[in-house]
Parts: sequence; structure tokens; C-alpha cells
Amino acid sequence: MQTILVNELRQRYGDFEAVGGISFEVGEGELFALLGTNGAGKTTTLETLEGFRNAGSGTVRVLGHDPYRERRALRPQLGIMLQEAGFFADLTVAETVDQWRRFTPSPRERDEVLGMVGLPQQTEVRTRQLSGGQKRRLDLALALLGRPRVLFLDEPTTGMDPEARHATWKIVRELVADGTTVLLTTHYLEEAEQLADRLAIMHRGRIEVAGTVADVVAGQGDRITFRVPDRVPVSDLPTLCGAVADIAVESGRAVAGYRVQGLQASLYELLRWAEHHRLELDGLQARSASLEDVFLHTAAATPEGAVR
Amino acid sequence: MNSSRLKDLVQPMSLSHVLAVARLDLTLLLRNRSVLFSVVGMPLLFGGMLFGFRGQETGGLDMALFAGTGYLAFFLVFAVFMNLVSVFTARREDLTLKRLRSGSLSDSEVFGGSLVVSGAIYLIQALLLVVVLGTALGGPWPANPLLMLAGMLAGVVVFALLAFAISGLTPNADMAQLTVVPVMFASMAGSGVMFPLEFLPGAAREAAGMLPLSPLVDIVRTGYFGQDHTVGGTQSDIGFVEAWIRCLKPFAVFALWTVVGLWSARRWFRWEPRHA
Ligand SMILES: Nc1ncnc2c1ncn2[C@@H]1O[C@H](COP(=O)(O)OP(=O)(O)O)[C@@H](O)[C@H]1O
Ligand SMILES: [Mg+2]
Repeated sequence: MQTILVNELRQRYGDFEAVGGISFEVGEGELFALLGTNGAGKTTTLETLEGFRNAGSGTVRVLGHDPYRERRALRPQLGIMLQEAGFFADLTVAETVDQWRRFTPSPRERDEVLGMVGLPQQTEVRTRQLSGGQKRRLDLALALLGRPRVLFLDEPTTGMDPEARHATWKIVRELVADGTTVLLTTHYLEEAEQLADRLAIMHRGRIEVAGTVADVVAGQGDRITFRVPDRVPVSDLPTLCGAVADIAVESGRAVAGYRVQGLQASLYELLRWAEHHRLELDGLQARSASLEDVFLHTAAATPEGAVR
Repeated sequence: MNSSRLKDLVQPMSLSHVLAVARLDLTLLLRNRSVLFSVVGMPLLFGGMLFGFRGQETGGLDMALFAGTGYLAFFLVFAVFMNLVSVFTARREDLTLKRLRSGSLSDSEVFGGSLVVSGAIYLIQALLLVVVLGTALGGPWPANPLLMLAGMLAGVVVFALLAFAISGLTPNADMAQLTVVPVMFASMAGSGVMFPLEFLPGAAREAAGMLPLSPLVDIVRTGYFGQDHTVGGTQSDIGFVEAWIRCLKPFAVFALWTVVGLWSARRWFRWEPRHA
């Protein structure tokens, strides 16, 4: 049984379709990241899995339960860090955790959980006085109180400074190492790259690509570019391991680009061709595709307002 | 979207969860001056006014006792109705309601905890007022306290449901001062709290008897004096059983309002702010 199962999920707000038929699965002990721009439908998807709203159509299951209908049975096994939720401003950090412990079956000790998230010094601070990053840590602390089997983190590090972000990544890695299943959303590429066993890139309510970071990046090919030398007509450019050049114009000069599978063989062909024609290749660049390439590529493929 | 509203008011509840929510509510109440004023200050103010009514008569009764028994019912509007409208509106808008729903609490436990606190405040206020009536204002002790208590508990349920519905129609906590006015005004003026309804023409009297607070005013007064104070009642002395029988109609009106309250809370209550 998959710990999280999403099959053809659709979700609408009035006439607007926020999630347009997505499917993915998360296995036990896995960390799955939903990566996407604002408005992609990540929060809507997470809140459906958390049982806040019923699936518009399609199926969702968490630990074998329908999260909306069987919320009561499921919730004690979940840890939920919402993208945005309020704290009672008049309560201190300690009071907030203590209060939450009363709502949680067999909770962790207050000191333990505040230590885990790095807030042990702030117990007497009122929540209204916490910084954005500290609030996020308290959010995480509350999500961890019940030793959840499945943890949902909706943009867990937004508003944190780099140090706090790295500290949070460390906590999440440790939880995954202990067997917790984590579904996380983020718009930080690095966060997904650092943490995710597998990820999906979501855009305008759909999953455009999914798999391990390596899978996702591999599908995109590597990239070779150089300026087309003046005396070479574009039609004379070689094919590299079967890939044809695409031509872009940058500051008045033609730039040839190739999307290839495997840099080494393609580069070898290119350099042999240049050597043969005694050409100097200005601005030659060769690099593996990055997650960023894929991300920008999916976002650009369906621009704002495009008809799908 | 439907599901961001009220799913089901009646779900299994864990007593310890309800009490934990109640404890949270009480802590927050004691730290919030304006809410504290409306549950402590207002009843004091109204209670004080009773002393000015001493010696006057209305509807064949001492006016202080008549109005005082009216207040026994009317305090429900402050302690339960207005309190819950503002608490649930404020919590929805600052997203603490969403946080309360993000753990193991069920929706009915979130409602239940707040209901227990506001209901308890109301019953304590009513008890204190009974003591004031029976001592400082020279009134009798309640003839039928069980009937009064039953009416009060039914009233707590009805006005809590109305509060959940109205909070869904209230855009923010400040506006709660305004959106509670219709129910408050109808309860104050049309339910026989301060003035007897007997002088109204028959149809208007029947209509006034259908307002949500009217059953409680009738039940409380009937139970307190041991006389028939229901709409069109004779005010003659009645016994324990007859008092209950005379109050069947007010309880039926409450049952009707429970249905209306459930329906409108289902329709209007919202857990989350409207999307900007
Ligand atoms: N309660 C709501 N009512 C109407 N539209 C909404 C609501 N919540 C989200 N949306 C819209 O649905 C789309 C997806 O939102 P969301 O799931 O929050 O995306 P993400 O978390 O990826 O930023 C957005 O266009 C957003 O404006
Ligand atoms: Mg989001």
C-alpha cells in the first residue's frame, strides 16, 4: 500500500479549476516534493490530502483512509504544517505548545519539541512577538508534537533566513531517516534538490514532470551553445549525435544551441567538426540540465493566460 | 467551496478534547478586556438598572422582578450569542480557527469547547441574578428551577447555532458589533424582556412569541414565579407538572429554532476567510 495516493484529482473554486487532474504516489518513508510557482495548486492539493476539503473528483488516500470522510481516524497519525495559520497572539510559546499537547494523543514533551526546532530559548515570548522564521519553527513544532507517520509541510521554509532554512532541512532529513513519510511543497528549487527522493513540478493545476531529480533532469537533455562563426552559413552546422541546432540571436549574433543526450560524445563530434574546418568556437558552453532549466521550461511552456 | 463550511455539527466527541478547548477559551477570555467587559460588565450594568425599577409595577408584577426575570433570559444574548459571534469571526479571520482544525480535534469539539465556556458563563450570570432577585430585590426563590435550567440549556443550543450562522455572514470582528444587532434588538424589544406582550394585538403577540428568545422568557418567568407566564397565559399559580405542560409550546418554538439554526449554520458558517 502506498502511504499517499492521488489519482486524477481535480479541485475547483467556483468556475476556476485549481487542480486539473493530477496523479502521484508517495511510498512509506519517502520525501516527495511538489515544486511549483504561486497559484500552481500545491496548497489546494495538500489541503485535500489533509482532509480540509473533499476531492472534487478523483481519489485521494492517506494511509489507506479517505482523508475527508475518515478525518477522525487519520488525523492523529498526521502532522500538518499549513502554509498559513494563526497563533493565539496572547499566548506564549510555552502556553501554545502546552495547549496543543492537550489536543494531541501521546504528545512529545514541550522541551523536546522546542529543542528539535531550535526554539528552546523563546518559551516565555508571546507568539505575536515572534519573527516570521520563528513562527514557522513553532508551526513545525506543533506539527511534530504527535510523532506523525505522515508529515505535510506547505512551504516550510518561506520567510526563513538561510541558516534557519538549513537547520530545518536537517530536521526534515532526520525525520525521513526515522521513517516518516513527508509531502512537502516549495518554490525553492534548492529545497527540492536537497531533500526530495522524488518530486513533481506543478504548473497551473497540472503535474508537468515527475520523478527523481535525476529522472526529471535527464528527460531534458544537456545543453551545448556557441556563437555561429561569421563565415559559416547556418545550414552548414553539424548535427551532434542526431541533435539539430536551434538558432537564437543574442546581441546581433547568431547563437547555435543543441539539446543533447550525453555531453561527452556530442562535444567530441562538435570539436572534431571545428578542428576539421579550422574554426574558433566563441562562447562555447556545455552543461548538464539543472532542475532550474526544467522548472523554467515548464513554466514558460504554458505562460500566464495561455489557452490549454 | 462547500467543504470549507461546516461539515457536521454532530460528530462523536471526546470529553477531554472538549474540555481542553474550553480551557483554551477561558484562558483567552480572561486576557481579552473587551470580551471580558461584554460578559462581566454588561450584566453588571443591566443588573444595576433593576434597582431603579423597584416599587414600580408592570403586568401585575413588581417591575424589578419582571425585568429581572426577563434578564435571566436576555443575558443569553450577551454571554452566548454575541460572544460566540465575535470569537468565531475573529478566529476565522486571524486563521486560528484553521489552526484549531489542523490537528486531531474534530469540528464538533472545536464548537463544543467554546459552547461549554459561553454556556457556563451564562448559567453563572443567571445564578447570580437569581440570588440578587431573591435577596436585594425582595423576590421569591425559583418555584421550578429544573424547568428554568432546561429552558436555559435549550436556549444555549439555539443561540449558539444562530451565532455560528451569523459569524459566517460577518466579514470581520469589528463588523460583529453590527451583525448581532437584529437578533439582539428583536430579543430586547419583542420577546417580553422588559415589557409585557399582553398589550399587543393577538396576531402581533403570536408573532412576538415566535422570536428566538421569547420561549426562554416565558419558560424562565413561568419557572421562577410558578405562574403561567406563557404567551396568552393567565398568570395563575400552577404546579410543577402543569408548568411543564404550559411550557410545551415554548419548547416547540425552541425546537423550530434549533432546526432553523442548524440549517442556517450549515449554510453560512465558514471555517476560512473568503478568498481575497
Ligand atoms: N479559497 C479559494 N477560493 C478561490 N480560489 C482559490 C482559493 N484558494 C486558492 N485559490 C486559487 O487556486 C489557485 C491555486 O491556489 P493554491 O492551491 O493556493 O496554489 P499554490 O499553493 O501552488 O500557490 C490559485 O489561482 C488561487 O488563487
Ligand atoms: Mg501554496
